[in-house]
Amino acid sequence: MPNGRGNQVLVALLAAMAAGAVLLEVFDPATSGIFPPCPLRYLTGWYCPGCGSLRAIHQLLHGNLRAAWALNPLTVILLPFLTYGLASFALLELRGRGLPQPFLRAGWIRTLCAVIILFGIARNLPMHPFDLLAPGTVLLR
Amino acid sequence: MFCSQCGANNVDTAAVCMQCGRSLQAGPPAVPLQPVQPAGVVLPPGVAVQNYLVFAILATVFCCLPAGIPAIVYAAQVNGKLQVGDVAGAQLASNNAKMWCMISAGLGIAIIAIYGVLVMVGILSGLHSN
Repeated sequence: MPNGRGNQVLVALLAAMAAGAVLLEVFDPATSGIFPPCPLRYLTGWYCPGCGSLRAIHQLLHGNLRAAWALNPLTVILLPFLTYGLASFALLELRGRGLPQPFLRAGWIRTLCAVIILFGIARNLPMHPFDLLAPGTVLLR
Repeated sequence: MFCSQCGANNVDTAAVCMQCGRSLQAGPPAVPLQPVQPAGVVLPPGVAVQNYLVFAILATVFCCLPAGIPAIVYAAQVNGKLQVGDVAGAQLASNNAKMWCMISAGLGIAIIAIYGVLVMVGILSGLHSN
């Protein structure tokens, strides 16, 4: 009987993500104004590790793997893991049991955290080859 | 006792887990609460404490928000504590991971709301000036 406030929040979150995916399929964040700008980018001009992730998902939903990779490679790499994890959460709600989850050692999660932070720093460096990590640079060359 | 399926902490007399509904009477033997010596990875059998890693990464990579980083750090701590058999410590870290995911989600919703208000104000002032 998986019920309670926490689970309702989770269901609302999953519903919001599904709605977001539909919006991302229809509207391109690169040209449409319906998605809010990233506050960090707006205020500082810096790219955060997630910069370009919505544009990348829009491209992925239209089958353009290369464009998605150029916008945010981290998103493309992490998306299968995130999709699997979210599917597991949804199934846990629906039938009380999620998908099999391999145990991730703490060191791997810390490494992932470091990779995300370093990726965020590297894509702001103005010199070659780090500039290739900035969202969309590869597409302009 | 800790549920062997989802890891939720239930009162010792509970017949079923309050979190997932699994029977606690017929399940595998209760998890030892004393931390096991960290000789390699010693996982208590059947224990799963939620680390919210998926939501932590979502918060970091998709919300653009710094609140996601502590969520990932706590997610790593959950699994680190589980590796040495400290289920109670893992549960504490799990609560912290969940809290930071919630903070991040709250900030994200606030930003979307503020943006929505700004767009509406922009439309209204545009109508007014015409």
